[in-house]
Amino acid sequence: MTPTVQIEGNVGRVILSGQFDFSAHREFRQVCESIIANPDIKEVLVDFQNVNYLDSSALGMLLLLKEKIAAASKTLALVNCRDTVKQVLEIACFGKIFTIR
Amino acid sequence: MKILVVDDTEAILLLISRFVEALGHQAILARNGQEAIEVWRQTRPDLVLMDVMMPIMSGPEAAVVIKAEAGATWVPIVFVTGVGEENALADAIERGADDYINKPVNFRVLEAKLKAVGRTLELNRQVREQSKTLADYYERAEEEKRVVRHLMDQMVNSERLADPQFQYWLSAAESLSGDLIAAARTPGQALHILLADGIGHGLTAALNVLPLTQPFYSMTEKGYSITDILFEMNAKVRQVLPIGRFVCVSLISIDEVGGTVEIWNAGMPPIQILDRNKQVVRVCSSSNLPLGIVPSHSLDLSPERIYFKEPGFIVAYSDGLVEARNASGAEFGLPALLQTLIAADETGLPPTTAEQTRMVTQTKIALADFLAGEQHHDDVSLVIASFGQDNMEVALPADTVPRAAELALQEIPADFNLLAECNWRYSLAISAEELRYLNTIPFMMSFVKEIKALSEVQSDIFLILTELFVNAVDHGLLLLESSMKTQPDGMEQYLSQRAERLAALPEGRIEIDLLGLRYKEQQVLKIRVKDSGNGFDWANSYAKLATGGLPSGTHGRGIALVRALSLKVQFIGLGNEVEVYYLPKSPAATQH
Repeated sequence: MTPTVQIEGNVGRVILSGQFDFSAHREFRQVCESIIANPDIKEVLVDFQNVNYLDSSALGMLLLLKEKIAAASKTLALVNCRDTVKQVLEIACFGKIFTIR
Repeated sequence: MKILVVDDTEAILLLISRFVEALGHQAILARNGQEAIEVWRQTRPDLVLMDVMMPIMSGPEAAVVIKAEAGATWVPIVFVTGVGEENALADAIERGADDYINKPVNFRVLEAKLKAVGRTLELNRQVREQSKTLADYYERAEEEKRVVRHLMDQMVNSERLADPQFQYWLSAAESLSGDLIAAARTPGQALHILLADGIGHGLTAALNVLPLTQPFYSMTEKGYSITDILFEMNAKVRQVLPIGRFVCVSLISIDEVGGTVEIWNAGMPPIQILDRNKQVVRVCSSSNLPLGIVPSHSLDLSPERIYFKEPGFIVAYSDGLVEARNASGAEFGLPALLQTLIAADETGLPPTTAEQTRMVTQTKIALADFLAGEQHHDDVSLVIASFGQDNMEVALPADTVPRAAELALQEIPADFNLLAECNWRYSLAISAEELRYLNTIPFMMSFVKEIKALSEVQSDIFLILTELFVNAVDHGLLLLESSMKTQPDGMEQYLSQRAERLAALPEGRIEIDLLGLRYKEQQVLKIRVKDSGNGFDWANSYAKLATGGLPSGTHGRGIALVRALSLKVQFIGLGNEVEVYYLPKSPAATQH
């Protein structure tokens, strides 16, 4: 999985694809670091449109991202969560701490 | 580089070695294959530049020996060949030589070849170094795993998993499991089962679940509720794990005495409650964030409560089971699991240990059939527990009713208070404010546990203390009516009203005394509980109970239980004070 980034104005969109698990760890971290370091970006969207599988280590990565984004005074939302992704997020009750759209 | 030059013609030997030296390398000389081997053994050169046809021993023969002795270390061997030696050369290259150069030697080509070999040597050295580092890592990781596995075995305490009330299956995806199953009983004999799934699998996942075990066992032993245990477990996980690490948990409490099951689920797949025919009658889905993410006080730790009248099963599992994928990418799934459990028994047998075992075994077989040789990618765990069964050997306190008869002391004699010596005394007095947050009985149990004469009978004492304490608080101070519990949904209403009244209680006081007495070589425990309430008409209320026998309703059962366990129960004055005399097991009685 190689995450791609789209920047529109002050919104940075991280588009993930395929399986989002521990094997995506390094690429995901790099992409996120570049977005966090970009002072023009105020809102970060993680786009799950093309993700078909999500495991618990991916949830861990999201928690870490949330922490870093908050430290950089930006906002974060998880978008286009469907089927499996939605189900995994629901079981973990991540709606309580993440904005999910 | 250190280069071994081998040639039987002195002129060529000299020429090549001079040239090698001119390129900045060190040349070592040998004049035939045999000599080459000997020199190679002593000097261990980086590269061998060797003639093919030589007296005593030929180049290819020497090459075979050198290659064999060098083993895993790569020693490049380059042959210098004349016209007509093509067959011998081909043979030599087949047997391990690395390259060749034609005679007469073109020095521009030789220089280029030496550079090429030098590059490969450097690459080879790096690979060797890396694979050594890798091997070191591997060994260290294996050692770490061994230590953690030992640690886990110790902390998980598999002996306690041998309980007739549930069966389990745990299959790790790697050598260490990130799923954890633990079980323990409270002093009141409620069974607590913990099923946890750490993020990922292998070593790091195993480390994630370890912090749960200590609060689980120690607090269950003292009789804490699962809400209190969860509060502590979450605090512990947050304290020890880094951000981004969390643990999915379900905690189940089965209380056969009270006829209740409590379930709290955070991030685990929905827990299935089945009736005796294995039909799903209720589902307890995750409604909480996993442990370790937010502070304990922002979690809703109150469990789902089920008051059962009929026997049934609780099926809890990790996502590794239902998400196990076969070669074509299909998941095992919950429907297949439930189907398997039904198929395990079609005759509607009561939920016995044998039946649980059969259900677990059937699931193992069904999953193995489904995977058809594929390995499951995540840790798989399954717990099948039952409740409401009466033919199972669960140590219910009612079993202890005839015990008093075995003991020397049959009743409290008239001269008891005169002659009894007091060995020790433990007194506690708390006001309404402490009642709101203090977990009084579990707190006292940590003392009781330490008293030698009582350590064997903690369960009885826990039940007696809990009963007297709950009576004093609920009826003495909060003025709740037990009859409420018999109405439909009564238990829920009772509990919510209790919480409301306790929060609003302006004043009130509870005193508890434990006295370790000795009367004519017999140890006697005296328990006194007093509340600041108005008491009740005890003489009338309990007259019919004095003759013995447990009442069938949901109230009044408690005090009858206390009577059954103890030698004497005496209400005093208005009924806001009660004294209970209890005989700990004497050494002779313990042998039964």
